[in-house]
Amino acid sequence: MAREIQTGEYELGAHRTLLQEFWRNFRRNKLSLIGGVIVLFYGFLAIFAPLLAPYDPIEQFDAPPGMRNPMPPLSRDEDGRLFLLGTDKFGRDILSRAIYGTRTLLEVAVGSIAVAMLIGVTMGAIAGYKAGTWIDEVLMRAVDIMLSFPSLVLAIALVGAFGIGKIKLGPITLSNIVKIMLVIAITYSPRFARVMRAVVLQEMAKDYVSAAKISGASSARILLKEIFPNTIPPIIVQASLMMATTVLTTSSLSFLGLGLQPPRPSLGLMLNEARDYLFWGAWWYVVVPGGLITLAILGFNLLGDGLRDALDPRQARRRR
Amino acid sequence: MVVYLLKRLILAVPTLLIASFFIFSLVHLAPGDPIRGMLGQYQDPELIAQLRKAMGLDLPFHVQYARWLGKIVRGDLGISITVKRGAPVAELIAQRFSVTLELATFSLIIALLIAIPTGIISALRQNRLSDHVSRLIALAGVSIPNFFLGILLILLVGVYLRQPWGAGGYVPISRGLGKNLAHMFLPAVALGTAYSAIIMRMMRSAMLDAMSQDFVRTARAMGIAPWDIVRRDIVKNALIPVITVIGNSIGYLLGGSIVTETVFRLPGVGNLVIMGVFRRDFPVIQAVVLIIVVIRIFINLAVDLTYGMLDPRIRYGGTS
Repeated sequence: MAREIQTGEYELGAHRTLLQEFWRNFRRNKLSLIGGVIVLFYGFLAIFAPLLAPYDPIEQFDAPPGMRNPMPPLSRDEDGRLFLLGTDKFGRDILSRAIYGTRTLLEVAVGSIAVAMLIGVTMGAIAGYKAGTWIDEVLMRAVDIMLSFPSLVLAIALVGAFGIGKIKLGPITLSNIVKIMLVIAITYSPRFARVMRAVVLQEMAKDYVSAAKISGASSARILLKEIFPNTIPPIIVQASLMMATTVLTTSSLSFLGLGLQPPRPSLGLMLNEARDYLFWGAWWYVVVPGGLITLAILGFNLLGDGLRDALDPRQARRRR
Repeated sequence: MVVYLLKRLILAVPTLLIASFFIFSLVHLAPGDPIRGMLGQYQDPELIAQLRKAMGLDLPFHVQYARWLGKIVRGDLGISITVKRGAPVAELIAQRFSVTLELATFSLIIALLIAIPTGIISALRQNRLSDHVSRLIALAGVSIPNFFLGILLILLVGVYLRQPWGAGGYVPISRGLGKNLAHMFLPAVALGTAYSAIIMRMMRSAMLDAMSQDFVRTARAMGIAPWDIVRRDIVKNALIPVITVIGNSIGYLLGGSIVTETVFRLPGVGNLVIMGVFRRDFPVIQAVVLIIVVIRIFINLAVDLTYGMLDPRIRYGGTS
């Protein structure tokens, strides 16, 4: 295996930081670079949506005489406004809705992953640190039960319990988008808990933790100051791999009509509306939102795989 | 073997109990009153109190759960509130179950027919053109959401090619098996594609793993025909992790069928649960989610049992 013999890659005395090492590994894989570029493109779309969108995403335009909404790409209305990617059934600009829809999709995905991480990492850290005790048993049992639900089914059940649209939980009113984030965060937190527990267990067996214990550090200190920094890389990998799944689940919910609600621009919802116009041949109504969702999932998949391989090169070589 | 089977079945009981408790409490702790939702405009307090009593909603939580569970064990899944008022949920599910089962089975068959041969060829021709092409297709397959693929297939086959079987909808078997299967074909492809891509990737990497094992080298040295080595040693060994993935991802198939049924307007169980969520029909949501989780747990059990048939090293019911 010639690939495993590394020649000339390590200069004597050259000191590389972990970050440089990581970048060298990451760069080697072209596909993960492409994934990174795609993800950057989506970040750009989401951040600069108001500047990039030619029209207000909920403004409705009338089709010129002799035409009907949805209008195909490159159509113009009577005042000469150009609709680059066509209009939807209400005469709204597809391009603008797609850009804002991408923004909403990323908002929900990033928000729910952040909350899922917070819940999952806390659960996993406690379970791992208290491994073998009843606390560990209870937490991991809960995780097992939640993982026995297919994730989309769990998300649908949670929406079923909460209800569609904004909800009142006692004195607090949750907006629909926050509720969806919560639903998806609850659905995916067990996976973070599993990873976190495994990593904490692995770290606990190492000498530096024993040393900290002997020197009399408190549990909280050991967990936060000693173990926690070492758990960040695997959690980041998990988060980036989960982004693809979260984008899929979020847009599936919206497609089913259980996620984002009109008139908010949402890619999943656009696809749902487009179904009624398939037999008009309104391909742009389908291809634009669907293509954007697919490309996002592809980008996060590639990036996640690349991050995983770059942080764990030995495993990566086996996979290739 | 029989002892092992019994042991596993008994171990599944607590998981099922906790899962059922989770599903029950999920819906019962939910905000909003199902009775109020059911009555719509006629919010008569006396009527509400009567109905509460009639449905047992005035009893303590644990008593309600015990009653619900007791009924379920006897096959009574409750009464639908809003989807079809007064109809037994078990009956509603029974009417639709065959549609979902057919969709899932058909998708599984298509997925395996594509994934296993492509995975094998891809591994045998590692890093050649056919390998790269099939890996790229697999990457696209895991990234494209099944609802988008489904809509694209309808657009292509139903709209552009004007095929009646490509337009969605369900034809019961009583109106001809051929027509029934033809209408099921596109939904099965839409649902099976991502599943197939997951299995193909696993098949490929498991094959590569098996190919680098010592027993393959030994077999080669003994002069056994190359194809016999592939068939008897490599593929058989590779199938073990592949079957795990098939089992673990079955949840994807169950969750995805809900979405696919919506795309193709199939009157299956997934369609039922979506109606349940829209109309806040709690007995329907509970029953469908419970059935899906039960199916998943039993499939995982079945997967564990097939290991023994493929790998003689694994023996059940030992002292371990």
